[in-house]
Amino acid sequence: MIRYILQRLAGMIVVMFLVVTIVFVIVRVTPGDPAAVMLGPDATPQDITDLRARLGLDKSIWVQYFLYIGQLLKGDLGHSIFLNMPVTAALMERAEPTFFLTIFSLAIACVIALPIGIYAAYRRGSFIDQASTFLAMLAASIPSFWLGLILMQFVAVRHNIFPVSGYGGPGASFLDRMYHLTLPALALGLVSSALILRFTRASMLDVLSDDYIRTARAKGLAERRVILKHALKNALIPILTVLGLTAAVLISGAVVTETVFGLPGIGNLVVSAVLRRDYPVIQGALLVIAGLYVLINFAIDMLYLLVDPRVRY
Amino acid sequence: MKMRLAFVSALAALATAPAAHAEPTKGGVIDVATVGEPPTLDAMVTSTDLVGMISQHIFETLFTFDKNWNVAPLLAESLPEVSDDGTVYTIKLRQGVVFHDNTQFDATDVVASLDRWMKLAGRGKQIAPTVKQIEAIDPSTIRVTLTRPYAALPALLAFNNSAAIMLPSEKQADPMVEVIGTGPYQLKERKPDQYIQLTRFDKYKPRTEEGSGYAGARIAYLDEIRFVPAPDASTRLEGAVAGQFAYTDSLPVEQMDRLTGSKSEAVLLQNSGWLMMRMNAKQGVLADMKVRKAVQAALSESDMLAAAFGDSKFFAVEGPMYPEGYQWHSDVGVEGNYDVGDADAAKKLLTEAGLTTPTPLRILTSRQYEFHYKMALVAAEYLKLAGFDVKMEVVDWATLTQRIQKPELWDIFITHSPFLAEPALINILSPTTVGWWSTPEIADAMTTLTGTADPAKRIAAFGTVQSLIMEQAPMIKVGNFSALSAKAPGLTGFWPSPWASFWNVSLEK
Repeated sequence: MIRYILQRLAGMIVVMFLVVTIVFVIVRVTPGDPAAVMLGPDATPQDITDLRARLGLDKSIWVQYFLYIGQLLKGDLGHSIFLNMPVTAALMERAEPTFFLTIFSLAIACVIALPIGIYAAYRRGSFIDQASTFLAMLAASIPSFWLGLILMQFVAVRHNIFPVSGYGGPGASFLDRMYHLTLPALALGLVSSALILRFTRASMLDVLSDDYIRTARAKGLAERRVILKHALKNALIPILTVLGLTAAVLISGAVVTETVFGLPGIGNLVVSAVLRRDYPVIQGALLVIAGLYVLINFAIDMLYLLVDPRVRY
Repeated sequence: MKMRLAFVSALAALATAPAAHAEPTKGGVIDVATVGEPPTLDAMVTSTDLVGMISQHIFETLFTFDKNWNVAPLLAESLPEVSDDGTVYTIKLRQGVVFHDNTQFDATDVVASLDRWMKLAGRGKQIAPTVKQIEAIDPSTIRVTLTRPYAALPALLAFNNSAAIMLPSEKQADPMVEVIGTGPYQLKERKPDQYIQLTRFDKYKPRTEEGSGYAGARIAYLDEIRFVPAPDASTRLEGAVAGQFAYTDSLPVEQMDRLTGSKSEAVLLQNSGWLMMRMNAKQGVLADMKVRKAVQAALSESDMLAAAFGDSKFFAVEGPMYPEGYQWHSDVGVEGNYDVGDADAAKKLLTEAGLTTPTPLRILTSRQYEFHYKMALVAAEYLKLAGFDVKMEVVDWATLTQRIQKPELWDIFITHSPFLAEPALINILSPTTVGWWSTPEIADAMTTLTGTADPAKRIAAFGTVQSLIMEQAPMIKVGNFSALSAKAPGLTGFWPSPWASFWNVSLEK
């Protein structure tokens, strides 16, 4: 077990090093220059050369790379060219809306998908099963930003129930922020629920035909207990996997949804950094996102141990 | 001549008339939706319009522009005294002005700020070689000595972007660390991508003249202004329709009808700016003036504008460099050089230039501004008819700004500009800016334009400059365009302008 964990940790370090290197190279070879963006199309070449020198971009790519690695080893993700603040601070600021949006969206997705998925499997072939399958297909086919725009149009613009965009002004309370997150969370939650519903239904169908379920019923256990305790517990592993992956996708920034709703989250930060070629922010954000993916995958593998005692590493 | 500027002819929908009679009252908080997060709040280091719009509430310059785009004093007490030979500018400063950190504004701050401006700002670097000395004569007077006459200096000191903003002499760090100005509003909090919160600066001392454009008294009626980035145009539009924002900047003009009957009023700023196809006069086929003239002869600007904006209320097919109402407006050189659309004449010019058709031509454009792209598509078709083998290179804005710096990578790129109050500052007129138009004729014309302070002589000199632009075709002026924004009906005292300002603006109770 410990040996397995150590192997995984070593693997994670290698993955992160590769991510750092690949992102650094891709960012540098992509056309575009932060100095040219900052100064605009009327800048002279000399203006741009001067600014590049001030930003340290005039050094060779190797020198920049080793300086960056040196910074990372000291726990410094660098300094944003456009935000004029440390990348770590920029990411920390953006983490809150993204984190709450993820939790909110996942909660909505689970509340919709888990009961319907379980019931659809239990009543396989029923109207509810067919309707849920159809709706899940539909939801999976809808881009979340489009659904967001539709919700915005009907709920925010026509009926003024929720704000169109933003994350609350200065001094906004927690509840006010959640109020601002409701529409984007609904858009993301509804779309994410499709995948979770289908996995829940499929996984439950697998276990419901197993011998131990038949045995549980033969013992005279209540149907609710058979489904929720015996079947659901065993069906959880694939559901956990898909929940973990959905969370990772949401944490890494529901890029377009955050942009559409003007949420100051990580996705929004990455998009604006890419458009402006804010190299330190792109590198830092992608490094953190990759790290989160790796950690979530690791955490899910560890959770299998808790959920299924047969799993051994 | 009393000028009536076309750009302030905001749409009738801007129903400010009844409110103009109401006595403005202090108080209220407004949300202003902007096109995104500004790259910086340091208005010296960038010419980005968004930075200028926000930071003009915090920082002030020695001069500014009135509603007729004449230079007017702001932190200076009056317009500068200029020596007879046009090389020495003596500027008296206002007294009793206080920075947001409660320190007094004086000549030391001006000298330090102008020094920083000449090192960091594009506009400052432009004048730096001409500046011999900047000195403080006494705490409320400075003197700028030039190596040669440069009549555009006051205008150059009046812009709100790439701006000569005044900072405390001991707070001149680059990058800017503390956001301290003398403006009617001060920065309270900046949460990138969330809001920029400005609050009224109670120690602000407004000028005594009546407000006019950016000049005169700036009175902070509102308690707070919050600039909220909303990069998605649809989101901004929906926010305006739902009444979430007191002012919404930069909306797609084709969506103007959506504002009818909504909780916001449309504000259409006609002749907000002008579009250009800038040509590479340094390298490639367009280094030859005859080929540039062939491009000029081939194009139909009216079709390009129609494709880009649709309804004619959103554009004007105008060749002159300034619209009617500006003192710089002139028709000189336009006839026969604008909206020609003559493929045969273009082919003839290509033959005269010794080129075989099809002649390869690269148009660099971006979809950052959809109207650039639509214009480029129509231009490409007209150029193909004239014998050019057009290759469209559509890239993102960041790539475009980088590529245009390399003359070997492009022939034409599309951009736009506001109408600058000082024509000497029009970007293509500088031989070092992208396009690299440099001929003895334009150098002479620019020397005349900047070498005299006499208004009549300057207007005549700009006529020569315009005729050279038409004759030598360093760029194609495509036409003028309107800008759409929206405001809440209760926002009174608002003046539609290229860089929306919110002093002298109040909320109806």
